[in-house]
Amino acid sequence: MLTRRDLLATAATILLATAALPALAQDKPYEGVQLSVLMEGHPTTDAIQKMLPDFTELTGIDVALEVVPEQDITAKMLLEFSSGSGRYDIVQNNIIYIPGFVSAGYIVPLDAYLAATPEHFNRADFVTGYFDTNVVDGQIYGLPVYGESTFLMYRKDLFEEHGLAEPTTFEAIEEAAKTIHGATNGEVAGITMRGQQGIQGVYVWAGYLWGYGGSFLNDEGQSALATPEGIAALEDFTRVLTNYGPVGVANFGWEENRLLFQSGGAAMTLDATVNGAYNEDPANSEVAGKVGYVPVPMRSENPKGGSSSLAVHSLFVSADSANPEAAALFAAWATAAEQQVRSIESDPNSGVTSLSALDSEAFNSRYGAFKDAMIAAINQGNPQYLPTIDQANEVINNTGIAVSQVLAGTATAEEALTAADEANNAAIAR
Amino acid sequence: MQNSRDPSRQIIRPELAVEPSPASRPRHASVPNPRDPSHLFVQPVIVVLTTASLVLTAYVIWLSLRDVSLLRAGQDTFVGLENYMRFFGDGRGLSAIWRTVLFTVLATGIEVVLGVGIVLFLDRHFALKRLVRTLLLVPIIMTPVVVGLTWRFIFDPSSGMANYLLSLLGLGPVDWLGNPSVAILSVLIADVWQWTPFVILLTMAALDSAPTDPLDAARVDGAREWQVTWHVLLPMLRRAVAVVALIRTIDSIKAFDLFYIMTRGGPALSTETLNYYGYIAAFTNFDISYALTIAMILTIFTNLALLAMYAVLSRGGAR
Repeated sequence: MLTRRDLLATAATILLATAALPALAQDKPYEGVQLSVLMEGHPTTDAIQKMLPDFTELTGIDVALEVVPEQDITAKMLLEFSSGSGRYDIVQNNIIYIPGFVSAGYIVPLDAYLAATPEHFNRADFVTGYFDTNVVDGQIYGLPVYGESTFLMYRKDLFEEHGLAEPTTFEAIEEAAKTIHGATNGEVAGITMRGQQGIQGVYVWAGYLWGYGGSFLNDEGQSALATPEGIAALEDFTRVLTNYGPVGVANFGWEENRLLFQSGGAAMTLDATVNGAYNEDPANSEVAGKVGYVPVPMRSENPKGGSSSLAVHSLFVSADSANPEAAALFAAWATAAEQQVRSIESDPNSGVTSLSALDSEAFNSRYGAFKDAMIAAINQGNPQYLPTIDQANEVINNTGIAVSQVLAGTATAEEALTAADEANNAAIAR
Repeated sequence: MQNSRDPSRQIIRPELAVEPSPASRPRHASVPNPRDPSHLFVQPVIVVLTTASLVLTAYVIWLSLRDVSLLRAGQDTFVGLENYMRFFGDGRGLSAIWRTVLFTVLATGIEVVLGVGIVLFLDRHFALKRLVRTLLLVPIIMTPVVVGLTWRFIFDPSSGMANYLLSLLGLGPVDWLGNPSVAILSVLIADVWQWTPFVILLTMAALDSAPTDPLDAARVDGAREWQVTWHVLLPMLRRAVAVVALIRTIDSIKAFDLFYIMTRGGPALSTETLNYYGYIAAFTNFDISYALTIAMILTIFTNLALLAMYAVLSRGGAR
């Protein structure tokens, strides 16, 4: 039998419950929202993937994360962007695509959304050099997930053994490569660098290009690689690799190059700062503790830009997203200091973009050996290291053919770069 | 039975099914029997497939006459034959055609000769014939990505098996994938390894279903074993081999995966086929119209090659 007291209690419970609902909704305004995220295969992505359940618990947002290799990601997102499908709410890519994406209206500014999530977004905590590459006309278009620069890595033990000083010029690199290659009869390659046709070879050769005083584009925005500086940069880069590099270097990508250096097969390599994390991992590296790190040399007295790269990979919110607020919330959460510190602990991630993560105990204990050289490289990093025009990909592809041809000996530097200029300018004019 | 021929023999002797004797022709006439409803099941499918391929081809042609780029969505204009003119002035595209021809001829030629050779060698009853046939299937069913990666490891200049074996002979090291004059041959080796078994399988099936009486007759007449093979056995396999060669030609022209995994078109463009160049145009340069132009040219070029092959085959068949 239902008493009056029971009725009152029930009514009170219902009342309380309905009163509590809005409060609950305010806690998780995006409860039940589904976000589709496209990210690159990278240690930071692995770390974020492991932390996704926490994000769902915190916000009630369900995240479907799709991971593809970096080299395929641009085409994949462009196919969706250009058809306006709204397939992805958030995408990750290199910041060199920002100008093209903004002018095509593919991605949206995040300022207003980020202002609403102060608990995750703290602009002052990002490395300034990384963050500023995401700002176009004063508006924030991306949040940096990971960043890196390039530096020269050399085997301190081998250099000591052969009485060589720390290599700080391009001439010293060639001299040291010659000495060690000669002394070991080629058992240890003097130097290894990526020679594979395409972005791989171009990414590293660009350090020589800028260091010799050249650049991809001139002041008129035309491709100008076949200058005396550009030609000398390509001749010297290919000569040192051909004479003192490992067999097969013409097909070396990041992986092959890293593995050879890690296994002690080369005395030097010029590559991304993230390689430091692999070198210093005693479980997988035979050179842990034996590697010295110095900035990419600069030969020109009045360079057009720095010789170390500034590669930043950010999260962008698609203009076709049905939930841009929730998408921006995810981007802010995934790049917040707390998540970045945790990512260092779970994965070999030295590319953190948060200052407090860089200063964390987790970072210093793992990557102290190259931290100073890395920060120096970032501070000198050249945001124009790779061209940032709409046709960037095509320019890089054409330049990569030139680098590959000279390395293979099928063309001289002047011929190959002149042909690359012609192809680039045709693409820019199109 | 109306037809004097045993239907099971028609199945095992395809050469008879292709060229039916006049007596059997009315039963295979192309005009459908009005009382036979089976054509009602087939015709709608044919109509749908034909319409789909015509519409798609027309759409591709239409897109190749514009300047669609993924970087400029919705801003494309009609440019007429500009993309086609551009291709015939594009040295990179023209040398890609040459490389495609070279790869197709070498791959098909080596696979067919090697495959038929192995079949003739295996044409005897031995204890493990079934096992050998099963093992032959392994390369064919392996995904091309795995094949490409495996061969990349084998061809690794410092730690690969190929250079290790050469070093035992006191040779090398060979820069398999880094030397522009060797790289395309390295991809060719991987392709031959993967697809020769396909030639073997189909040729073996044709050989097994071929009658043995003519061979015995030739032997009774005093022909030597090589004469039996050359003058009797090989002519009987001719049609099967021709079909296999046709399939391998089409596949080699379209080859993509091994190039993508093993060399990515490099070094110095030495392994960039027309198909791969089309991929670069679409997915690196985002130039969709130009990529489709390349695809159209590849299609025309493939069709011409196949027509030429058909012509050669049917001339042989009239003999």
